[in-house]
Amino acid sequence: MRRTGAQVYSSLIAGKPNTVLYPYQKLDLPPTYRGKHTLDFKRCIGCSNCVQICPNDCMWMEKLEDPELGKIERPGVDLGRCLFCGFCVEICPTVAIHETVEFELADQDRSKLRLGPKELRDDKYADTVKEERQKRSLPVLDLSKCTGCEKCAGECPEMCIAMMPIEGVGKQKPEINLSKCTSCGKCVIVCSEKALTMTEVHESYFEMPEPKFILKNCTGCSACAKACPADCIYMMDMPGTEKVLKDGKKGKPKKRAVFVLEKCVGCGKCFRACKFESIEMAGVKR
Amino acid sequence: MAEMWINMGPQHPMTHGLWNLRIKVDGETIIDAEPEVGYLHRGIEKLCEGKTYTQIIPIADRLCYGASLSWSHLYCVAVEDLLGLEVLPRAEYIRVAALEMQRIASHLMWLAAYAADLGAMIGFIYSMRDREVFIDLLQALSGSRITYNFPRFGGVAHDIPPNFERDSLRACDYMEKRLKEYEDLYEGSKVFMLRNEGVGLLKKEDAMNLGVTGPSLRASGVRYDLRKDMPYSVYQELDFEPATHKDGDCYARFKVRMDEMYESCKIIRQAVTKMPKGKWRTLAPRNAPEGTGLGRVEDPRGEGVMYVVGDGTDRPYRLKIRSPIFVTVSAAPKMLIGYKIADVVAIMGGLDMCIGESDR
Amino acid sequence: MNLFEFCYGIIHWLVDLVNHLWYWLGDHLPWVFGDFFNWAGDLAVSHGNIALFAILAEAVIMFVIALVNVLNFIWIDRKWMGRMFDFYGPYYVGYRIGGWLQNLADGIKLFVKEIITPAKVDKLGFLIAPVILVSSSVLALSTIPFSPRFGVFTSDLDTGVPAGLLIAFAFFAIAPFSILIAGWSSNNKYTLIGGMRSAAQMMSYEIPLLLCVASVFLLSGSFGFLGVVNAQHDIWFVIPLFLGFIVFITCLAAEVEIQPFDLPEAEAELVEGWTTEYGGFRFGLFMMTSYLRGYVGGALATALFLGGWQGPSIIPDEFWFLIKAYLVFLIIEWMRWSNMRIRVDQILNIGWKRLMPLAMLNLLIAAAFKTMGWF
Repeated sequence: MRRTGAQVYSSLIAGKPNTVLYPYQKLDLPPTYRGKHTLDFKRCIGCSNCVQICPNDCMWMEKLEDPELGKIERPGVDLGRCLFCGFCVEICPTVAIHETVEFELADQDRSKLRLGPKELRDDKYADTVKEERQKRSLPVLDLSKCTGCEKCAGECPEMCIAMMPIEGVGKQKPEINLSKCTSCGKCVIVCSEKALTMTEVHESYFEMPEPKFILKNCTGCSACAKACPADCIYMMDMPGTEKVLKDGKKGKPKKRAVFVLEKCVGCGKCFRACKFESIEMAGVKR
Repeated sequence: MAEMWINMGPQHPMTHGLWNLRIKVDGETIIDAEPEVGYLHRGIEKLCEGKTYTQIIPIADRLCYGASLSWSHLYCVAVEDLLGLEVLPRAEYIRVAALEMQRIASHLMWLAAYAADLGAMIGFIYSMRDREVFIDLLQALSGSRITYNFPRFGGVAHDIPPNFERDSLRACDYMEKRLKEYEDLYEGSKVFMLRNEGVGLLKKEDAMNLGVTGPSLRASGVRYDLRKDMPYSVYQELDFEPATHKDGDCYARFKVRMDEMYESCKIIRQAVTKMPKGKWRTLAPRNAPEGTGLGRVEDPRGEGVMYVVGDGTDRPYRLKIRSPIFVTVSAAPKMLIGYKIADVVAIMGGLDMCIGESDR
Repeated sequence: MNLFEFCYGIIHWLVDLVNHLWYWLGDHLPWVFGDFFNWAGDLAVSHGNIALFAILAEAVIMFVIALVNVLNFIWIDRKWMGRMFDFYGPYYVGYRIGGWLQNLADGIKLFVKEIITPAKVDKLGFLIAPVILVSSSVLALSTIPFSPRFGVFTSDLDTGVPAGLLIAFAFFAIAPFSILIAGWSSNNKYTLIGGMRSAAQMMSYEIPLLLCVASVFLLSGSFGFLGVVNAQHDIWFVIPLFLGFIVFITCLAAEVEIQPFDLPEAEAELVEGWTTEYGGFRFGLFMMTSYLRGYVGGALATALFLGGWQGPSIIPDEFWFLIKAYLVFLIIEWMRWSNMRIRVDQILNIGWKRLMPLAMLNLLIAAAFKTMGWF
């Protein structure tokens, strides 16, 4: 009894009780708190990785028409099903989706809890928050400008660049081993076509499946190139495959898809877009 | 008076969780008891067969919502065994510190519910207030208060926030001061001792034969703690003693849990000061090889086991969970027979039942 | 102030007012109507009838005061409990007066709930039990005066109503009867067990209670309120009979079913004990009666041990009485929230084996004091 008496004294006379008078006083939440999501439209590339990793299937991709960005696909969240686990934040390759500290999300209508991309949009939030994921500056290849001159492979001090031939096209393209790269930037300086640029890439801790290309089945329809959100697929002509048309002229050459896998985020859109089964992804079901 | 069967639960204001206890009563004395679990079965083992390994981590949290970090940690240990993955040293220390904080928080929640059942609302409020300190620390660490989604394969999700070391040392000091006050509040109260001493005796042989583990086993005199006997993580390098008590009654179970909180404070201090620098997270492989993985940890309620069978894809073939409470509940008849109805609450409350893990 | 004269005055004034109309009608209406109104006017003005109405008005006023006090008690209980538990008590409703209106809000909420009578209960017992409980407690309340002139049963005798305290305790002790009826008629195993436990507990704690009261009667030499309070003009009985005070408070807690003795109503074991089947406002009545009995007990403890309404005359006597009753209540509440529930067989153990010898000891002390001639 002495204990409770002492407690009365300490809370009544000598200080305030240990209560936060919510909702009149707000709670003090740490920045890592996982609440409502925000989406940065400009950073998001519409890869749908977040939709695939969600444990409870609460996200979906919505096709939108934006005045600045054109025809885009952005995710929406159903807060009624969301576990607030934070996986979508961790897997996003461009750190476009974040979870804020807003937790007062109740509503009287369950359909209002389905927040579409427009309601989640906040293009400025990402600049205010300190990111924990480490960034590396890595050289990113734009294959349309590359001539296969091998200068970058010669210049790299770590010997991470290997020139691999592109089957059927007759050119070479550099393949960069990103785990050995030290971001020195010499390959970028030496490239005369400016095909390599140093961009900041966020480290990802999830191993994503990589697509494997089978040349035999490719018809050059370029469905995969249109579907890829990260611009990894380039359609290149294969010289020597022109068909002879009826009137004797040479037709256009066949195209094939060329993958620059360093940029790949593992979303699987190419896999789902290809109708001729020329892309395989290990372990992913259609 | 005639003998009758009384149903305590499944809808009952103060049995924690959703289970039914049927007791056969002669006047006021209990002559037989039969627990019925299964009302909270959610089919988690089957659910996990359709999800990738990463997606199961937050689901493993929700197995036992009272001590959720230890279940997701158990799952990560099992899958790391399957994948053959080494955990980074800094991550091990972060995991140990967080696990021991989770243990203290879980024991405080047990204490709160126990005191409220016995009628001391004062104990409930004080324990919840002290639990807030640890839950706030874990919130700053992982981002959430009860289901943390914190361990990852080969490491942990985030690094420790700034000031974590200072705050956790302060929290340990605060907790030790409070534990002394709790001893004064509970053991100094004649009523508490009247209701707990000599009540619900579980003998050593019965406890071992029935497969009871955890604090209930240590309260019957058996010194068995997985952190010492089959060390996992970095527990070999930390200095602590598992708490035991030689009677098997409710007071012994209470005392063992209070002593465990002291030991946890010691462990947190060591883990937080000895943390090496370095990375805390690695890339884990997506597809698991064909094989099996086993994880055994000392959950705040006993020994939890998880067994994962992989088949080469990125989803498990089978996930088997052994929950300590499911086994301990079967010891209920041995502990209840011969005591009064009013003792049921003290006895079953002393076992710290969290039905979420029992029914999966 | 003299409650009887106050009420008499008001009723007299009212009767005069109405009688103007009555006599005017009596004069102007012919025949038997006129005679009727004159007769009614004469009847009303006679002293006996006005006194009757005055007593009725007194009773209503005392009842209202008691109810307001019960509201206050509940508010103080929740605030005091809150500070012990390191939070605020009721805070928002009635923000500026410290949350006092919370009780009214809870009462209104209970009022508008649907009252369900389960189909298989014993109708007579089910409906009569709360009535008996509430009415007996209110009857006990009505015998307590706040000061020599402020009360329902004041009279001109020096010792007040003879045996006033005895009547109060008699009414107080009807409760186990009604609880047993409530528990049995609810057609539920739990309530039956709860009702029996409750009746056993209450009956076994009556005896030490009455023994302590008997010791006070020994020292004061009379059974009435005025006599007991006037006998304390030298020294309050709490000082020689300190043991008796402690035993009295403990037995009071057991009678009112407050922790540590509230196993019959324990939530953890038997849902709500013997009040399980009562919903809505009936449940509210039970809760209110619990606090009402606490108030009655506190008032009796004040009168018996703490000197009733005696105190320096800066504040009127009635307020002193109330302040002391609140003090007793605060002590009981302090004990309530610091302790755990005792098991029912242990409660009976304590009642018979520990409190009764202590009460006997107290009686012997009182007898010793009396024979030594100090009182």
